[in-house]
Amino acid sequence: MVDPARSVQPPPPPPLTDEEYAKFCEFFYRKTGIQFQDNKKYYVERRLVERMTKTGSSCFRDYFTMVRFQVSGEELQSLVNTMTVNETYFFREDYQFVALVEGMLPELVRGRSPRQPLRLWSVPCSSGEEPYSIALSILERWDQADHWDIEIHASDIDSRILAEAQAGVFGARSLSRVPRQYLEKYFVSLGDGSYRICDDLRQSIDFSLVNIVDPVQAKRFRDVDVIFCRNLLIYFDDVGRRETVETLYEILVPGGYVCLGHSESMSRMTSLFVPRKFGDTIVYQKPQEKAP
Amino acid sequence: MALVKANPPGIPAVGDGKPTPDGPASGLPPLIETGPSVEDLLAALDAEESTTRRSAARALATHPEAAMALCDRVEIERSPSVRVVLFTTLIRLQSPEIAARLAGLLRSEDVALRNGAIEALQEMPAAVAPSLRALLADPDSDVRLFAVNILGALCHESAPEWLVEVIASEPHVNVCAAAVDALAEVGRPEAVPALQALRARFPDEPFMTFAIDTAVRRIEGR
Ligand SMILES: C[S@@+](CC[C@H](N)C(=O)[O-])C[C@H]1O[C@@H](n2cnc3c(N)ncnc32)[C@H](O)[C@@H]1O
Repeated sequence: MVDPARSVQPPPPPPLTDEEYAKFCEFFYRKTGIQFQDNKKYYVERRLVERMTKTGSSCFRDYFTMVRFQVSGEELQSLVNTMTVNETYFFREDYQFVALVEGMLPELVRGRSPRQPLRLWSVPCSSGEEPYSIALSILERWDQADHWDIEIHASDIDSRILAEAQAGVFGARSLSRVPRQYLEKYFVSLGDGSYRICDDLRQSIDFSLVNIVDPVQAKRFRDVDVIFCRNLLIYFDDVGRRETVETLYEILVPGGYVCLGHSESMSRMTSLFVPRKFGDTIVYQKPQEKAP
Repeated sequence: MALVKANPPGIPAVGDGKPTPDGPASGLPPLIETGPSVEDLLAALDAEESTTRRSAARALATHPEAAMALCDRVEIERSPSVRVVLFTTLIRLQSPEIAARLAGLLRSEDVALRNGAIEALQEMPAAVAPSLRALLADPDSDVRLFAVNILGALCHESAPEWLVEVIASEPHVNVCAAAVDALAEVGRPEAVPALQALRARFPDEPFMTFAIDTAVRRIEGR
C-alpha cells in the first residue's frame, strides 16, 4: 500500500518576484560574471524552481539563504551547472585551429629552446570539443609537433560538463565536422552513433575547474602561450569583459596569443593587445612591454 | 614527444579519473574573502614591478574606499598596461566622485590618458551624468568636444536630449558637428527640428549641411 503521507507532493514552489529575480541575478553575476537580462527571467526561473524542488526548499528565500551560506558550496556549484550554456562542437570556427598550427605555433617556437614546453589553455572548454580539436589539429596538421612538449590545459566553471569532457564521449551532432580519417584513428565507435575519444588523447589533456572571474584561481595558470577563450565573453557585461581580458593578459607570456569567438572583438574591450591577422582570422597578441 | 600532460601549480586535475558531477564548488570564489589588506594593496600601487601594480589595481576593485587613491595613481602612472587596469577598476567602482576626477583628465595633454578617461566615463552612465552639464559648459571647446564624444557613446536615456541642447546653444562649429554625428547614431525624431534649425547657424560650412542631412536621414530611417 502507498503511504498517503508520502504520495502527497508538496505544492510547487512559487515563482520569483521581480525583486527576487534582480537579487538573484546580482548575486549570480558577482559569483560568475554571467549576466542575465530581464528577457532571461523564464530561463533562470525554470532552473531555480528545479533546484528548489530538488533541494526541498519551500520558497526562494530559504533556497537563496542556503546557496549563499552553505559551507561546502555544493548547491552553488549545482546551480552554476544548470545555468551555464555549454553549446559547443568539434572544429567550431575551424580557421582558428588552422591559424594555430600554421601561424601562431611556428612563430612561437622560433628561437625557443626545445626544452621549454608550449602551453595552451582552452577556457572555457565546456564538454571538451575545443581542447580535443586543438590536440587533433596539432597532431594532424603541425609537422613540428613531435619536436616539442605541448601541454593542453582545459578549464570550465561547470563541474558536470568537465566530467563529460573527461569521459570523452560525443554524439553525431558534435562530431559532424570531424574528418572520417580522424574518427577512425582517434575514436572508438560505441555503436549507437556516438564515439569515445581514445585514452591517449583523453589523458593528455589537463582538465580543471576554474572560474575565470576569480583572479586568484585564474592566476594559478601562468606563462601560457595561447589561450582559446571563445564564446564566453558574450555572457559577460562590458566591465566583466575588460577584467577578463586583463586576467588573460597576466597569464600569457609576452608575445602570447588570445583567440576569441567570431562575435567577440578585443578592440571594444581593451587596448592591451595587438590584433594579428593569420589567414582569415584575427587573433590578439600580448606585446612585449618595455615600461617597468 | 608531442602532447604532454602537466598540472599547473596549485590546480588539481579534475577528479583524476573520478568525475565529480556536483562536487564541491572549488571553482567558485571563497565565501569569506581573505587576502592582502587595503593598505598593502594601496602601497603596492607604487611598486616597482608593473605586474605588482596591475595586480594591486585589480584587487582594489572590491574596495570602494580606495577610489580616490586609484584616481591619484592613474594621473601619474606611466605604464600603459597598468593604466588600463586602473581604469577598469575605476569603472567597477564607479561613482559621481570618480567620474568628476576622471572628467578632470579631459584637460590632460597626454592623449592616451585622456582617451582612457573618455572610455572609462562612457562606461559609467549614471555616475558621469552629474559631471556632464559642467563639461558641456566648459570654457575650453576641446573639453566640450570630448564631453560630446562621451555623450554619443553613453548608454543613458537622456543622452539624445542633451545632444539636442548642445546643438541649440553651442557656439563652436566642431563641437556642434560632433553632436550632429552623435545624433546620427542615437538621435530620435524629436531631434530633427533642432537639426534643421542648426543649418541656419552655420550656413557657410558645407560639411555641416552634409552632416545634418546624414543625421536626419539616419534618424528617419531612410
Ligand atoms: C558556449 S560554451 C563555449 C565552449 C567553447 N569555448 C566553444 O566556443 O565552443 C560557454 C562555457 O563557458 C562556461 N563559463 C561560463 N562562465 C564561466 C566562468 N566564469 N569561468 C569559466 N567558465 C565559464 C560555461 O560553463 C560554458 O561551458
